[in-house]
Amino acid sequence: MKHATATPSILRDLRSLKVVVIHPQDQDGDELLAQLQRIGCEVTVFWPRLDCLPANTGLVLMAVRPETLSTTFPWMGNANSPPIIPVVTYENPITIEAVLQLNAFSTIPSPVRSFGLLTAIAVALTQFRASRMRDRYIERLEQKQAKLRVIQQAKQIVMDTRGVSEEEAYQMLRSQAMLKREQIEILAGEIVKARETLSF
Amino acid sequence: MTSEDTRGLPESIKIGVLYSRSGVTSAAETTQLQATILAVEEINRAGGVLGREMELVCLDPQCQPGNYADLAEQLILKHRVHLIAGCYMSSTRKAVIPIVERHNALLFYATPYEGFEYSRNVIYTGAAPNQNTLPLAGFMLTHFGSRVSMIGSDYVCPYESNRVMSDLILERGGEKADETYLPLDARWESYLDVARRIKQLAPDFIFSTVVGEGIPHLYRAFAHVGLDPYRMPIASHMTSEAEVAIMGADLAEGHITSATYFQSIETPANRLAVARYQARFGEDQTTNMCWEAAYFQMHLLAQAIRSVGSDDPTLLLRVLPGLEYDAPQGRVRIDEHNNHTYLHPLIARVDSLGHFDVIGRAPERVKADPYVVSHTTPRWTLKAQADVERTGDRQ
Repeated sequence: MKHATATPSILRDLRSLKVVVIHPQDQDGDELLAQLQRIGCEVTVFWPRLDCLPANTGLVLMAVRPETLSTTFPWMGNANSPPIIPVVTYENPITIEAVLQLNAFSTIPSPVRSFGLLTAIAVALTQFRASRMRDRYIERLEQKQAKLRVIQQAKQIVMDTRGVSEEEAYQMLRSQAMLKREQIEILAGEIVKARETLSF
Repeated sequence: MTSEDTRGLPESIKIGVLYSRSGVTSAAETTQLQATILAVEEINRAGGVLGREMELVCLDPQCQPGNYADLAEQLILKHRVHLIAGCYMSSTRKAVIPIVERHNALLFYATPYEGFEYSRNVIYTGAAPNQNTLPLAGFMLTHFGSRVSMIGSDYVCPYESNRVMSDLILERGGEKADETYLPLDARWESYLDVARRIKQLAPDFIFSTVVGEGIPHLYRAFAHVGLDPYRMPIASHMTSEAEVAIMGADLAEGHITSATYFQSIETPANRLAVARYQARFGEDQTTNMCWEAAYFQMHLLAQAIRSVGSDDPTLLLRVLPGLEYDAPQGRVRIDEHNNHTYLHPLIARVDSLGHFDVIGRAPERVKADPYVVSHTTPRWTLKAQADVERTGDRQ
């Protein structure tokens, strides 16, 4: 560390972060709530059920206990559900399995201490965002990969039918696409489809 | 109070004290030690607490974090103490926290620090960044400009203060001209190099987070290269009367400090406390922000002990949050939720006699917000009481 850097945006946004806490009101619950309020987050507490997540929830802290193991949360696991930080009281295999199911990036051990919560939140939010971005990137790569495959197939068809080189086949596809004002992968798709239609 | 014969008297209430009498930050810590002694003597003279005397067990950690941890444990296990006043640099507080938490003891911490902490076993009576760095940043960026050179001691607190300052500079479209960190034991030549570079860069002001023995070096180097504090002051939230006393008024004049207490402030409580302090420890003694927090926190503790009728930390923690006291700086209050203290932020400039002349003050006491990340500049720093002088006697 040589210079003071600009504050990470994750930390800057904490005061507008809406946090849902699914935790019974006990010593751990009180400590969690008090520390979240010191940090300055907007907190709502539910227990034990929460069927519908409040709008714009940015983070969920959830007690993973025998009671929650049997509860289903309908909002969980869909594409827009926020990251979850489990509050863990047991370390037996069943509880750990439940924690793993939550795709957590950090955990809070019980008994809850004020120290460590801020770091756990920062890690969870950062890794969650990074993971979302990776998912989107992979999705885009897969789409691109599919396009390349179709273009490759179309190129092969042109090479076979016209007896031209790979480079010439590609140039032909490209100029046809430009002429028809279509994207090259659309034209390639039509060629591949036409060939499939003809091959009976 | 120390080793007098106490047979036949009710057992005293022991308070452990961890302030260093030698080492890099011992100048300020020695004043904290003496403030603690003064407060406890006052309390005992007024009849003590619960009919018992308060007795200090003072150990000297010599500014080494490891010593603070060992001596805290020694206080608890050997001296049967569970109330401790002390620590200065964050590294020393971080070393003691696990120990007071493990033994359910209570630490009273009287030094400004970088925030982002809450332990139920610590009462924080020094300023959080929103009570000193933030007002200083607002004031300096408004009155001097937003091209800033930063110099600090190489440990956690300066980096955090500079993060706050950097954010505010960038928000205003300003610029960091320079950012340097020197080791805590850096020699004066290193400060001279920095001062020469700053002179060439000609920033609007210098933000210093240097602590301890480095402070006189910095101000001396600044004067040595011929910089004018009235045009380009060093602004600090750590340079206090303790350091000005060491470097002398001629080096300190014109520079600016943000703190929640200065010796010069005119409250009846301050005038009386300073008079008693000088009568006890010598007319030449000065007070400072760390002295004041160390002083009033003992009175808050005595008040809490009286209120619950016990010196048990768990019981004390039920009454300390929310407790108020007429401290030398004005009425302070321990926050109900974060164990930090509502304090009165001030901006002052050193005059030709070495006194801090207050040139800006918060209209009311300010709640400590140790976890605030995004700072907004307090409004009172944006308009000064009077124009800030850009020239002084010292030319």
